[in-house]
Amino acid sequence: MEETMMSVRSISKSYGSNLVLKDVSMNIKKGEVVCIIGPSGSGKSTFLRCLNLLEIPTAGDIIFQNQSILNGKIKVNKYRQSVGMVFQGYYLFNLKKVLDNITMAPRSLNKKKKELAEEEACELLNKVGLLEKKDVYPVSLSGGQKQRVAIARALAMNPELLLFDEPTSALDPELVGEVLKVIKKLANDGMTMIVVTHEMGFARDVADRVIFMEGGYIVEQGTPSEIFENPQNLRTQEFLARIL
Amino acid sequence: MNLNWTDAFNNLVPSLLQGVVVVLQTTISSFLIAVVVGLLVAICRLTQLKIVKYFFATIVEIVRGTPLLVQLFYIYYVVPLILDSILKSMGNSSANIQFSAVAAGIAGLSINYGAYISEVFRSAILSIDEGQKESGLALGFTYYQVLWKIIIPQAFTNSIPVLGNYLVMMIKDTSLLAIISVSELLLRTQTYASQTFETIESYTILAVVYLLLSLPLSQLMKLFEKKMKILH
Ligand SMILES: Nc1ncnc2c1ncn2[C@@H]1O[C@H](COP(=O)(O)OP(=O)(O)OP(=O)(O)O)[C@@H](O)[C@H]1O
Ligand SMILES: [Mg+2]
Repeated sequence: MEETMMSVRSISKSYGSNLVLKDVSMNIKKGEVVCIIGPSGSGKSTFLRCLNLLEIPTAGDIIFQNQSILNGKIKVNKYRQSVGMVFQGYYLFNLKKVLDNITMAPRSLNKKKKELAEEEACELLNKVGLLEKKDVYPVSLSGGQKQRVAIARALAMNPELLLFDEPTSALDPELVGEVLKVIKKLANDGMTMIVVTHEMGFARDVADRVIFMEGGYIVEQGTPSEIFENPQNLRTQEFLARIL
Repeated sequence: MNLNWTDAFNNLVPSLLQGVVVVLQTTISSFLIAVVVGLLVAICRLTQLKIVKYFFATIVEIVRGTPLLVQLFYIYYVVPLILDSILKSMGNSSANIQFSAVAAGIAGLSINYGAYISEVFRSAILSIDEGQKESGLALGFTYYQVLWKIIIPQAFTNSIPVLGNYLVMMIKDTSLLAIISVSELLLRTQTYASQTFETIESYTILAVVYLLLSLPLSQLMKLFEKKMKILH
């Protein structure tokens, strides 16, 4: 049996009286790629942000590598080192060169030596196809390049799990492909990932499992062919009809 | 009009050069203290602790709501009296506290500018995209690491043009220290002019000296601003 990396147990999240996540449960196995789709406002980002505790669920539990991350016994910042996140808006550190963006966390959090950190950063930049940009400032990069640097930056901490929140939604259409290609490469390398995306072609192509969320619920989940070719739930059918 | 420029120049300028040293020493120390104070106050005002937050907000409002000149008077003349009476009431009858004029001046400038600079830092910190904080947290930094390694460097860099303006203003505001007897530029000029009646010459030279101090700084700031624009 494959190893369960994370187990989300009936989490809910409310902002004041606004309940935006309702009793959501899921498991993710090591090496699995899960894509989350759903209409705007359905709670996808909130769900993802709960997984690395940028939001604290108001109920339920999350088990990561056999340990609850919500019982107050773990160090949240240590936990986050093993769960990377890539945001829609990249959020590179403007004052630092590309290479320093990537080495910053390993050097300061893992006390990695400069030379080693830079060597590894170069490998990562090579992987995302941007080695020649290592000495430039983020401002001179295109959106797609920024996002690839952001991915390399997240990878530099050697996370067990990588979360993507609409990594290509802020990009010009012609730049979407280069970022998706990088994520696909990570999937082939066996990286465990949860990707919130509006790119249905990508989800169909790369995901092991697709989750459809609406109104704070997981409405339906299954393999890409189950969800895209034979959706069972009426709301999934409606959503896909609208979007495809 | 019979103006004696040579005389004024030869006699006043050497004294003003000494005054320039006083101005630079006072400005540099006051400005450094003000930046540190401003940063700490800004951080205190951004904590979740309500008491700390409101305490510093009140202090800042008091400082910004009273003139620097009054603050200088207060520090130089009133605070020693208060300290004296406190010490006396504690049984120390020989107490006779006095600050040096320069020390009182530096304290006044630091506190006054610290309050304004704290506002600069506060809004600079608040204007950094929330995403910067979150991407730092997501990498595994603690909140305070994010603050010091990611937010504050950016906020500080963004504040440099405004800080530059404050620095130029402070150079000019050291003239207020004349009133508490710091022998800076204005006091020296006043003394010279009243002795020689070369009033026009003296104050014109004084104005030129202030210009020579502040203009290069303003130009430097413009240059820096251009440089920083490239990173954004
Ligand atoms: N910090 C917050 N405070 C209050 N309400 C919030 C907050 N964050 C999200 N919400 C609300 O929670 C709901 C779910 O938002 P969420 O961002 O998770 O949706 P989403 O599925 O990611 O949408 P999108 O596709 O537009 O990104 C929305 O109604 C939103 O208004
Ligand atoms: Mg979202």
